Amino acid sequence: MVEELEPALIRAAAAGDLKAFETIVRAYQQHIWRFLRRFLGDAAAAEDVAQETFLRLYRSLPGFAFQAKFSAWVFKIARNAALDELRRRQRRERVAVAAAAALDSGAVSGGGTAGETKVEIEAALAALPADLRETVVLVEVFGLPYAEVSAVVGAPVGTIKSRMFRARERMQDWARTGEEAANGL
Amino acid sequence: MGCEATRLAVSLRHDGELPDGPEHDALDEHLAGCSECRQFEQDAARLRARLRLEPVDEVPDIAAAVLAELRAGAAAPAPRAARRPLVAAAVAAVAGMVAGATFVGIGRSPQSPAAADIPSEVVAAQHDVQSVDARFTLSESSRPDDRRGRLAYEAPETLALSVEGGSSLLVDQDAWWEVSRRECSPVAGRVNCPGETTRWVTTVTGREPFSLSAPIPLELVTPVDSFALAATTDESGLGRRTIAGHAAVGVTVTAAQVAPFLAGLAEAADLRPMYPADPVEMWLDADHLVPLAVDVRAADDAWRPRWAAAQGVVDRPGEVVVAFTVTSLQVNEPVPDDAFDPPRGRPDATVRAGFRPTGTTVAPSPGRLPEGFREYRAGTVTTPGGPRVGVRSWTDGRAWLTVRATEGWLGGHLFGDLGPDVRPLDLGSAGQAYVSADGRLVALHGDGIDVVVSGSLEPDQLQAVAADLGVVGQPVPAGWSEATSGTLILATDAVPGLLAPRHLTGFGAAAVRVDNQAVSQVYAGPGDRGFTLVQDPTAGRLAPSGAGDEVAVAVRGQAGRYSYERGELEWVERGVTRTLRSTTLTLGELLAIAEGLRPA
Repeated sequence: MVEELEPALIRAAAAGDLKAFETIVRAYQQHIWRFLRRFLGDAAAAEDVAQETFLRLYRSLPGFAFQAKFSAWVFKIARNAALDELRRRQRRERVAVAAAAALDSGAVSGGGTAGETKVEIEAALAALPADLRETVVLVEVFGLPYAEVSAVVGAPVGTIKSRMFRARERMQDWARTGEEAANGL
Repeated sequence: MGCEATRLAVSLRHDGELPDGPEHDALDEHLAGCSECRQFEQDAARLRARLRLEPVDEVPDIAAAVLAELRAGAAAPAPRAARRPLVAAAVAAVAGMVAGATFVGIGRSPQSPAAADIPSEVVAAQHDVQSVDARFTLSESSRPDDRRGRLAYEAPETLALSVEGGSSLLVDQDAWWEVSRRECSPVAGRVNCPGETTRWVTTVTGREPFSLSAPIPLELVTPVDSFALAATTDESGLGRRTIAGHAAVGVTVTAAQVAPFLAGLAEAADLRPMYPADPVEMWLDADHLVPLAVDVRAADDAWRPRWAAAQGVVDRPGEVVVAFTVTSLQVNEPVPDDAFDPPRGRPDATVRAGFRPTGTTVAPSPGRLPEGFREYRAGTVTTPGGPRVGVRSWTDGRAWLTVRATEGWLGGHLFGDLGPDVRPLDLGSAGQAYVSADGRLVALHGDGIDVVVSGSLEPDQLQAVAADLGVVGQPVPAGWSEATSGTLILATDAVPGLLAPRHLTGFGAAAVRVDNQAVSQVYAGPGDRGFTLVQDPTAGRLAPSGAGDEVAVAVRGQAGRYSYERGELEWVERGVTRTLRSTTLTLGELLAIAEGLRPA
C-alpha cells in the first residue's frame, strides 16, 4: 500500500537537493497525514505534525543507512513526532476531548448513518491508549506487516501481536455499535 | 484450542501473520463449534471495514509548506552537522572506534535567527520579569501518570512551587517553608500514625537576601545560570512554536547545561536521574524568556546504558525521560495573594539561618549601581562559630546583586565560597581581585576586610561593582589555597610546550593553577558544564590502569585512552602527560577540545 522510493532519490535529497526532497514529501504526505489524523484524532494537528515530520525527516536524511525500509522510517519519524505532540498536550485529557468533539461534530454535520459510523469508530480509536492506537492504525489502515510495525514503533513483533489482539477486544463493542447503527438497529 | 488462544490466532490470521500449518485447521475446528469466537472473527472484519471507511477529506498540501520552510531556512541536511564545531568534529574523530557522542537533536536543525541570541536575551530578560504565574505538567518515563504543578513568582524573591505528589515550597524574602510527605513510622504502643505518610512542615527564618541555599532557585523563572556562559554561535535552534498561547523559541542544550533549572524543579518534584549529556529541548517564552517546555531525551551515548543500570532505570536512546510543559502562563500580571500563603499550622521543624536586618553593616556599597537597581534588604548574618558577615543587596525585577563582607575572616582561603579554582584579576586602582571559574563571584582580600560580590549579572558588571567598593584588594597570603593560582603566561614557565584551547566558545576564561610543576586550567560553562585540562611534565607516560571502563582513543595523533567512569581523556604529547577531565562533557566534546589545543 505504501510505495518504496529509489535510493538515488533519497541520496539526492540527503545531499540537499530540495527538488528530490519535494518528490519524497509528495510520495508520502497523504499516507503520513492519514496516519497522523487517525493517530491524533484531529485533522488540524495532523497537518502540523505532518509538516514537523517532514522537517525532521529532512534533517535526519543523512543518517538513513538504507538498512530499513524507507517508508517504515518515515512512519517512525511521524509516530515519534505524534507522540511528542500527544505528550505536549497531555495525552489522556486531550484524547477524551477529541473523542467528545468527534461525537459532537458528527451529530451536527452528519445525522446520517455513515456519519455516525465514522464518529463511533473515531471515538473508539481515541479511547484506546496511544500504543494500541498506533498499532491498530498501521495494521488496519495501512496494512503494514507486524515486522514493519515493529520497526516503526520500536517494540518486538510479539508485542505487536498482543497489542492487536487487545485492541480488537477493546474495540469490538464499538465495531458492533457502528454496524448496528449502519443497519438502523 | 481454548477460546483465548483461538481469538489470538484469529487476530493473527486476520493480519496474515499466522504461519502456514496445522494451526489453521485447529482454529477452524474450534470456530465451527464456538459461536462466541465466530463473533470475534466477524467483529474483527467489521472493525477493519469501519476503519478503512475513511472520509474523503482533502489531504492538505504539506509539501508546499515544508518546502517553503526549508527554503526560508536555507537548510542543508548533511553539511549542517559538520558545521557544529565542538560536537560534530568529535563524532568524526571517534567514528568506528567509539559508538558514543552522537547527540539526538544536535546539529539537525536550521538555525533559528533567535537561537544565537538566546543566551544574551535570557540574561537581559531578567530585568523585566516582575511576576510569573505558571501551571505546568511533568511527565517522567519512570512514572505512569503525568503530574501537575504550579510556579508563582513576585520580584524580587518571593516564589511558590508545588508539584502533585511532591513537595510544596514557598520562599518569601527572609523566610521559606517546605511542606513534604514523610513516611510515618509506627512506634510500638503508640497508634498515632494516620495513613502511610504524614504532612511535615519545615520552616527557615533569617534567610539572607538571594541566598542560594533557598529551595526554589530563581532559575525556574529565568534560566540565567543555564545560559550565562553559553556560546552565542550555537546552531541548535529549534525554531518557533506556540505553547500555552505564548510564542516560544527553542534551543537544544544538554541536561548538564540546564542542570540549575532541573535541580530547581527536582526540589519539589523528586525527579528521576538524568544523564549530563542527555539532549534537552528547551522552549522559552519569546518575550520574557520564561521556560515553557523542557524535554529531556536519553542520549545515544556508549556509556549511558551502564549509567542507567547503575541508576536503576532503563531508557531507549531518544526517548523522552522527563518533560516539563507549561499549560498556562501569565507574566507581569498580578498573582493572586493566596499563591504565597504560608502553610497552615505550626511547623514541625524551625531553622534559623542567622540573618537579621540591621541599620548598619560592614558591607560596602558601590559608588555607582547598575542602571535601574534599587536598594533592597541589608543586615548582618551571625552563625555559630562563623565570623559576623554584613550583607547588602540591590535588585531590579528578577536580577540581583549582593555584597557580603566580614572583618573577622581567619583566612586559609578566600572569603565567599569561590571554590578551589579562581582567576586572579587586576582591578587597577582597586587592586587584586579573584574571580570564580564561572565568573559569578568576585572576591577582594582587603586590609582588614574581606569582600565578595555576587549576582545574576554579567561577569564584567560584577567586576565593575567590585572595583567601585572603595576596597583595595591584595594578593592572598602565600599559605592560602588560591596562592598557586596564576595566569597562562606564568604557567608556561612551569610546563614548556603548555597547550591551551584556542577559539573555545561556550566557556569562561581559564582559572589556572600551578601545583608542583603540573598546570591545571579550569573552564566553566553554562549550568554545570565545564572541564579541566591538566598538564604534568613530571610523568612521561600514562599511569597503569586497572579499571575496566577505559577505551583506547587516538588524540592529536597520539595513542590515548578515555575512562568513562572518571570522565578523563589522557594522552602523552612531547613528554608531557595531558588530561582533559569532565563529568558533564562527552568523550566527543573532549576530543574536539583536544583537537583545538594550541601552544599557550
